[in-house]
Amino acid sequence: MIKASQLVKSFGKGDLEITVLKEISLEINSGEFVAIIGPSGAGKSTLLYQLSLLDVPTAGDVFLDGIRTADLNERQKTEFRLKELGYVFQDYALLPELNALENVALPMLMQGMSKMLAFKKAEEALARVNLSDKMQNLPSALSGGQQQRVSIARAIVHHPHILFADEPTANLDSTSARPVIDTFLQLHKEGQTIVMVTHEEEYAKMAGRLISLKDGKIVSDQKQD
Amino acid sequence: MKRIIDLKRELTDALRVGWFLGVRQIRRSSKGTTTLIISIMVLTFLNLVVVSGLLLGLISGSFEAFKQSYSGEMIITTAPQLDHIEHSADLISFLRSHPRVTALSARHVAGAEILGTLTDLPGKNEQPNKISMQVVGIEPVEEEIVTRFSRFVVEGEMLDENEDGYMLIGANMIKEYSSFADANIPGITLLTNVRVGTRVRVSLASADGPVRKDFIVKGIVKSKVDQISTRAFINDRELKRMIPVNKEEVQEIAVKTDDSFASTLVAETTAFTGPDVARIQTSAEAIPSFLRDIEMTMGILGNALSSFALIVASITIFIVVFINAVTKRKFIGIMKGIGISPLAIEISYIFQALFYGIVGSVVGLVLVFAFLKPYFDAYPINFPFSDGILVATYGSAFLRVAILLVVTLLAGYVPAKLIVRKNTLDSILGR
Repeated sequence: MIKASQLVKSFGKGDLEITVLKEISLEINSGEFVAIIGPSGAGKSTLLYQLSLLDVPTAGDVFLDGIRTADLNERQKTEFRLKELGYVFQDYALLPELNALENVALPMLMQGMSKMLAFKKAEEALARVNLSDKMQNLPSALSGGQQQRVSIARAIVHHPHILFADEPTANLDSTSARPVIDTFLQLHKEGQTIVMVTHEEEYAKMAGRLISLKDGKIVSDQKQD
Repeated sequence: MKRIIDLKRELTDALRVGWFLGVRQIRRSSKGTTTLIISIMVLTFLNLVVVSGLLLGLISGSFEAFKQSYSGEMIITTAPQLDHIEHSADLISFLRSHPRVTALSARHVAGAEILGTLTDLPGKNEQPNKISMQVVGIEPVEEEIVTRFSRFVVEGEMLDENEDGYMLIGANMIKEYSSFADANIPGITLLTNVRVGTRVRVSLASADGPVRKDFIVKGIVKSKVDQISTRAFINDRELKRMIPVNKEEVQEIAVKTDDSFASTLVAETTAFTGPDVARIQTSAEAIPSFLRDIEMTMGILGNALSSFALIVASITIFIVVFINAVTKRKFIGIMKGIGISPLAIEISYIFQALFYGIVGSVVGLVLVFAFLKPYFDAYPINFPFSDGILVATYGSAFLRVAILLVVTLLAGYVPAKLIVRKNTLDSILGR
């Protein structure tokens, strides 16, 4: 489902050039829950951005569902992200002017779904993350953990092939973080492919597969029970 | 074909989502900021409509005064080579029987010399207190219907059709009343010590020597229309008696009719009289050409000021949308990241800009047509040669609304485009 081949990502030019990813190759199969860990500066988030079409690698290729992403233009990438991918960001990334229900319904509206149906599906997604009673709340009226669960609802509402999560618990205390991880585990059980970047080993160990990065290279890649 | 259908679907979805986002961004934005932006748009609209409208209104006010105070909707005067309107009686009869003519005032006009001091002879080397001016014979009742002449009497009383020997004198011909008396313009002399009750002598030239008659000044008339403030008025039958020749032929006929019918009436009247018998014009055609030139200049000035206002409006909207978009750059990046099309995001900002433009224009329209225009109609600006009104028609106002909205649309689109086109990840990470 996800295949990265000889991925290189560099920033800057000439003497100032820094290579963050150094010829990384990996494959992630459908239904896997992969945690990418490593120390700060290892290239975890950079790798996630390359895999999730948010950035363009300096060299190498990414294949998603067999499609070579370098062959897609910007419009096609946007449409691919809309229909096939889901994102959970570290800082929740909810739109402040939209309430929880509207935030979750937004991708469905962009897909051309009627407002009524989009809102119905958004209600279902919010129910899955136990936020049925907070649907009309603006993000500013939600706790950090609740905002992150709204973010997850938005990421899964359209049943994406792959769910990308970038440090989803980094801004949360343990009480708030646990329901977020539980939601990921539940989604994984239902067959959702998840790629999660985290620096918290406790949560990383809950994933089915653990990829460790250091200095832009994979230093270990192991399946877990 | 499939490509066209896809593009149409994309555009429809982008419009839906753009509207969805735009409405919520407006609804949940700071009320104070929204009020401030709308206030700026209202002021911009007023700048577009009111400034140019007032400039034009200074001149249009004088055109309107010319029509209401002197010419009516149609004015017939003597042809260039003649000193009277040929076959005046037939023409007046034709006009009186015309179903669309509501009133008319036929006037005799004669050049005369008026002596202001009858008792004392001037001393050696002193100028006599006399002035050359036009004396107009009017039927007080008819003149009142056409021009409401009595409103110009600033001192004394209006002429009475049953009284002889009385005169009204234009204020600008008397030193004590004239606005130009202190200008000391070479060659211009004014009557002095003439006021209500003063006896003056009118002399008309004729082949048999001057025809003289004394009159008592019954009133002083003053208007911003020169044809009133610089002439003297007596009962028409008295002037008719004094005129040596062509007593039945008048020099002016002011005609009241519908504004929209004036041109047709001019054509019909010209057809009745035949060519070169008289100068037959609508009120607008009779306006002196220098006033037309001023009108054109004011129009150019108004358009120039409107252009500046438009530039200010576009920069204002640009800055508002740009700041709005810059401060939300991260969220724009996130929206692009989750697959919201850049076009939908741009449209949401265009909707917001249009919202400010439309609300500002609507408030501006209400202010102009419900308050400012009625106010300036009731209390015109006291300009030296006119009563300045606010010229604002629905047509021109809506044209300016359209221009403002087009400018607003562009000024909203450009900054949104500048921000939306930035790299998605850079926007999300704020770098």
